[in-house]
Amino acid sequence: MIKIENVSRNYKTGETVVKALKKVSLEIADGDFLSIAGPSGSGKTTLLNLIGCIDALDEGEISINGEKVTTMGKKGMTEFRRNNLGFIFQTYNLIPVLSAYENVAFVLSILNVSEEETKKRTMAILKEVGLEGMENRRPGKLSGGQQQRVAIARALIKNPQIVLADEPTANLDSKTGEEILRLMKTMNEKYKTTFIFSTHDQMVMDYASRLVLLHDGTIISDERRNG
Amino acid sequence: MKFIFTLAMKNLARYKRRTAITAIAIAFGLMMYLIVDSMLLGIEQESMRNLIWYETSSVRIHQKGYWPDRLLFPLEEGIENPDKVIDLLKKEGWTATERTLFKADMILYSDDFGEDGSLSAMVTGIDPEMDNEVFHFEDTLVEGRMLEKGESNGMIMGSWLAADIGAKVGYWVTLVTRGNGGFFEAIDAQIVGIVNCPNPNVNRTLIMMDKDTAGMVLGMDGAVTEIDIALPNRSDVDVEVMRIQASLDAHGLNDLEARSWRELAKDYLAIAEAKRGGTGVILFLVFIIAAVGISNTMLMAMYERTRELGMMRALGMKDNDIRLSFIIEAGGIGLLGSVVGIALGALANIYIANVGIDFGFLMRDMDIGYRIQSIMRGTWNLRSFIITFVSGITLSMIVSVIPIRRSLKMDIPSCLRHQ
Repeated sequence: MIKIENVSRNYKTGETVVKALKKVSLEIADGDFLSIAGPSGSGKTTLLNLIGCIDALDEGEISINGEKVTTMGKKGMTEFRRNNLGFIFQTYNLIPVLSAYENVAFVLSILNVSEEETKKRTMAILKEVGLEGMENRRPGKLSGGQQQRVAIARALIKNPQIVLADEPTANLDSKTGEEILRLMKTMNEKYKTTFIFSTHDQMVMDYASRLVLLHDGTIISDERRNG
Repeated sequence: MKFIFTLAMKNLARYKRRTAITAIAIAFGLMMYLIVDSMLLGIEQESMRNLIWYETSSVRIHQKGYWPDRLLFPLEEGIENPDKVIDLLKKEGWTATERTLFKADMILYSDDFGEDGSLSAMVTGIDPEMDNEVFHFEDTLVEGRMLEKGESNGMIMGSWLAADIGAKVGYWVTLVTRGNGGFFEAIDAQIVGIVNCPNPNVNRTLIMMDKDTAGMVLGMDGAVTEIDIALPNRSDVDVEVMRIQASLDAHGLNDLEARSWRELAKDYLAIAEAKRGGTGVILFLVFIIAAVGISNTMLMAMYERTRELGMMRALGMKDNDIRLSFIIEAGGIGLLGSVVGIALGALANIYIANVGIDFGFLMRDMDIGYRIQSIMRGTWNLRSFIITFVSGITLSMIVSVIPIRRSLKMDIPSCLRHQ
């Protein structure tokens, strides 16, 4: 369970203060497939970053499974992210010099998982995301959809409680985007992992089981759907 | 750890051209350092050898009182009973020879030299039988012959001095000098041999004649101005000086004092020390080249990989692990540069140590302090190679820390937004 209470986040650009989030409160249940939607500058990515413990809030509180992430400190947050969170980025952010296998396996190496176990789990997750036989290809030799599959595998390999995806289909064509969404939905159902997306893509919103709409840093609607 | 190392090595090959250029810059700097270090050390070693072999010997004994006035060539401060000292040294296992040093005006005649003239000269009276046991002039004879024992009119001359005054074997000169007590005396001498001494300071001024003849002319009554001692290679000269002095004192010869070549050549050693400081300057320049090259390369690498960095940090990779990965990468560039630098330095050193560089054109008319006449050779110094190799890698790693620190200060969302 993720609990967001009266969270505000301001950015300073020169003399101007931009209020990215204004006293936002939200509760996200375990296993949710939640989409945070809204126009550019509405605060989607900011909210995602705060939940992902990669940004600091100015006001309010966020707790995940009862743990207050706001009081964890830098080291604590790093450790929390390492153990509990998975990330999927719009531009995949794969390491170009590493193969698909190495891009996924490195997550386990920072968790000090044994080499044997790493191999077993990496091969299994790559097979699950449909990349069997492509383990040794570098990102440059993979299509956009395949790269995003590697990113999904990288996010899921450590069995995180929560996966945060910032516009995961924005760089993909609609067919590939839908394949990726279907894959994530399958993973969500199979592993009961909480998925939180930021998007302004209608297709992603349609897949979500819960849609939160943001506008000017405020939640303007929060609805459950049959995604 | 394995992943960090793999990532660093793969990133090293990511921008091959940039890595190569940086490594070459480091290699060039290290090679230059090795060349200069080898040359300086080689020159220093050969200079010291030439200094001992042709100028100072390993240890010299003077009468007390001679050393402070040595520039005045005080004949009255001679060693009165040199044979006794030589016998004593011989008994103790040292090889020694007697010498008498004096100043003279050398008169040149037009019959031989084409025109009359004179110049100031420093003449060394030697024992032709024993001198080559301590000094090494015999090997440097290029014309004529060496002196014979008791030869009354023979003279040996350095080849540069001979060339300067147009002297040849068979030419006659007159040496006008003041003997012990101040009287004037003249000696007619014929040049019987010309030596090409590798020590330029000696070759430029050398005139040698028989010490008994010199002693007679100067009224030395058997005295000599110095006794020179040869020590075996690798002897601890300071220890030997103490032993010699103790031996002299023990035999009632405490009016004599022994000095090591280091003391005799203090001026040269001071210059050599200063020149050694030059190696430090070169090392500093190498450091600057390596620092700028590596720092710039790592700065660009960090800049280009800011988003990757953000991703790795978001996934929970520790800043220390990221830092380590970049440091290993920089160390890899340093390693490449060091290997190439060492290889190039070794190749260059094969030539420098075996063939050398001929600086004869420079040394002929200029005294730069070194006791080398023409070809300056380098030497092999394993310690320098090891230090250079380790420094190349270590410096590369150290200077990479600054750009890494800058990048890790950026917050994760900014890293992820970076274009």
